[in-house]
Amino acid sequence: MSLLSNLLGMARGSGAARDSEQSAQRMAEWDQALQSGRLPSFVEARLAAAAAGKVPWVATMSAAEFGLARGKGVRPLAMVSGTCWLHYGYSWTRGHAEGWRTALARLQHEARAVGANAVVDVKMRTVRLAVGESMDFTLLGTAVRIDRMPEATHPIVATVPALEFVRLIEAGITPVGIALGAQYQFLDPGVGMLMQSILGGSGGGGRIAMTSSSAARVQGSSRPFTNAVLPELSQFWEGIRRAAVAELLRDVQRQGTGVLAHTQLGQLFRVEQNNSPPRFLGRHIVIGTVVNTRRAIPVPHEIRAALDMRGTASPLSHSPPAGRHAYPANEQGGAI
Amino acid sequence: MSDVTDIPVHAVERLRGLRGDGHPEGIFTSDFSVNEFLLVRKAGFEPIGLCIGSCIYHVGIQYGSWSKNQELESLSQAMYEARELAMARMREEAAGMAADGIVGVELTVKRLEWDQHILEFMAIGTGVVHAKGHPGYKGPQGQPFTSDLSGQDFWTLLQAGYRPLEMVMGSCVYHVAHQGMLRSLGNVGRNAELTNFSQALYDAREIAMERMQNEATEAGAEGVVGVDLHEGSHNWQPHVIEFFAVGTAVTPIAGERDGSALPDPQLVLSVNS
Repeated sequence: MSLLSNLLGMARGSGAARDSEQSAQRMAEWDQALQSGRLPSFVEARLAAAAAGKVPWVATMSAAEFGLARGKGVRPLAMVSGTCWLHYGYSWTRGHAEGWRTALARLQHEARAVGANAVVDVKMRTVRLAVGESMDFTLLGTAVRIDRMPEATHPIVATVPALEFVRLIEAGITPVGIALGAQYQFLDPGVGMLMQSILGGSGGGGRIAMTSSSAARVQGSSRPFTNAVLPELSQFWEGIRRAAVAELLRDVQRQGTGVLAHTQLGQLFRVEQNNSPPRFLGRHIVIGTVVNTRRAIPVPHEIRAALDMRGTASPLSHSPPAGRHAYPANEQGGAI
Repeated sequence: MSDVTDIPVHAVERLRGLRGDGHPEGIFTSDFSVNEFLLVRKAGFEPIGLCIGSCIYHVGIQYGSWSKNQELESLSQAMYEARELAMARMREEAAGMAADGIVGVELTVKRLEWDQHILEFMAIGTGVVHAKGHPGYKGPQGQPFTSDLSGQDFWTLLQAGYRPLEMVMGSCVYHVAHQGMLRSLGNVGRNAELTNFSQALYDAREIAMERMQNEATEAGAEGVVGVDLHEGSHNWQPHVIEFFAVGTAVTPIAGERDGSALPDPQLVLSVNS
């Protein structure tokens, strides 16, 4: 790698040193591409070259993952991404669902362009830049071609790393995509009823009729010395969680037979209001990897029990320390 | 306490540094863990010394136009050149000790306290040589190879029939346009994509990735493993972000090993807890 060669590479048009006209042209291409659901010509060219093996393949896989995946007929092609920066002026929660779904569709688009039938090791990323009520939703992954699987118009998207992906395939479990459920609701004790979000109604949380209740009763502060269940708040929060999981389930039903490894984010806020009792906002998001598998398929792997002499210091019972790829963000200097 | 004569003679000599003076098999330095050391040796390599390269760099000032998505080329080049200098110096050290390559390279950027425009770039890794002097493991142009793979990953990569060529990277410092007030007002009360931001991130990431891929092509690599894309800001304005793609370019070991040589891993369940 030499500085000169890199700069030459830039000058050839793939990289930097663009004049503003080129830059504007590039922006116009992006604009058109995002509006019409296509890819800009330079992205298409990169992915086509990767598909034809004219440029080196690029993989987020570790050396071990690459070695094992290759032995199983999984060949890396290119790194693909999907980005959507969404302003959630109407609803934070629905915005999150929409942002991730758009990013997912774009990631799949790139994967199709490179001739992949799957994308593995899909990571959810965000660039932390405060721009009003908005957020960056980015998915990054490695597009791969699995020799045993047919060409796909909808490449499989798996959030699991290549190593686990191979294990799943071996065990007759096919990861097929990502499912998502997101719900939010407001509880307004002053009004005495549950205000359900307008769009969030699709989640099936339902309108839970409540008797007139004061903010104090909802929070348990009317009887501060008594142990008591807070039924309204419990019911409210449980309703949101159930609705989010129900939405996840519907998303799974469209794609496969089950969901694994889901991550969830739940938040319950007390929102202070002027001259009226506080109200509550609950929001819950669940995201997981959808799999397709028949019931009771035997797992071919032998599993050995190991008694690790290192006891609690065992690397088997803890996640390993960050490898050399995980450059820790320097407190002063930021990321690498 | 056991007598010092219990230790093999050559080990004692090494401990005392007797073989250190100008002797190629003298004391080595490394930042390997025990397991890394064992696996590098298992792969047929010996560590010979820590290789370090650093570069303290004054990064100039470049402002992006308030409402425009654009790359800040001057900053991109600064970030690239400084890293490249640190890497080149590290590689020179390795060449000086006749290493075949450097494994476990860590590349860090640190801000110095007294001036926000001065950044310290450091590259550090362990120089290794093939134990039997095999000549086929050098990087491009006969230079030592560089790789951010750990000792464990290095062993695994060789088992899979590939060898590292060099660490490849691509940097793009980008100014993300601010959204105009009128456009912001238009979005009040509804969920809408801010396409200019989406475009900016896409474009910056694409440029960083293309540059890294260019380097891999120049190096004659078949592919790049362990790629990651970092986003960072080095005390720039809030809308200025660096996208940095880095990975290890690899090439097959001609006719020596094939991928099927990598044994299927045994699944193990810890019964301790």
